[in-house]
Amino acid sequence: MAERLSNRLKDRRGELGWTQAELAERVGVSRKTVNTVENGVFVPSTVLALKLAAVLERPVEELFWVEA
Amino acid sequence: MGLDDDVTHRLLVTNRLHQGTSMNSYLLGLLAGLAVGVTIAVIIKWRDRRRPMTTVERADQLSQRRARMLPALAVVFLTQQAMFFSQMPGAEHAPVERVKMSAWLVLSLVLLAALATKSFWLEPRAVRDLMEDENTQANRNEAMRWGFLFAMGTAVAVYVLGMFEPVTGREAVHIIMTFGIATALLRWGVLERRAHAHG
Repeated sequence: MAERLSNRLKDRRGELGWTQAELAERVGVSRKTVNTVENGVFVPSTVLALKLAAVLERPVEELFWVEA
Repeated sequence: MGLDDDVTHRLLVTNRLHQGTSMNSYLLGLLAGLAVGVTIAVIIKWRDRRRPMTTVERADQLSQRRARMLPALAVVFLTQQAMFFSQMPGAEHAPVERVKMSAWLVLSLVLLAALATKSFWLEPRAVRDLMEDENTQANRNEAMRWGFLFAMGTAVAVYVLGMFEPVTGREAVHIIMTFGIATALLRWGVLERRAHAHG
């Protein structure tokens, strides 16, 4: 069975009251990338996952996890 | 000069005159197309300048525009091939055919450059860098992979076709490049549109 990377980026972004564009600006990526990562369409690199975790002030394993 | 020579000479002169008229019409069409393209680009640029945008907003806008443009470019590129295959046998050295071939070659090179580089060469570096983030790179790599596989598949098909029907080197290159580039453009367009669609 295929494994899938899930995340709670949208929830955390909502807690901070940021839009996708604001998060994208802080991380230094396009809004499209934030959008596709949030929706599970695109699996981010380790570098991007760590950047997102740093900006959202949460450990990376709290934001991302693997679902079997 | 016999009657046959005289007729042949007259036919040659008529043919040259006809080629000259065709080339003039084609060049006129080409220039008109370029003028329309430049006008549209100027209008878009002028309209964009009226709305101040952040780097992310600008990159997003251009990225969406690119997603819409890619399939349209692929269709334009494919329809242009009808001109190549509609040319009369033996007319490939006529001036008008040389202009057509040059136009096709220039368009192919521009599209290849757009596929292989960050494109939007007139935009600021920050915007271009943002448009080239890892999601775009992943989509582009996937599109290039499809383009390569389709080009190779087409090459095999042309090779097999060559066993039954004579295929010139120019025709083979033309067909392989067309399918490779058009496939990459279409695939990239589909992936980019899909990425923007999950808003």
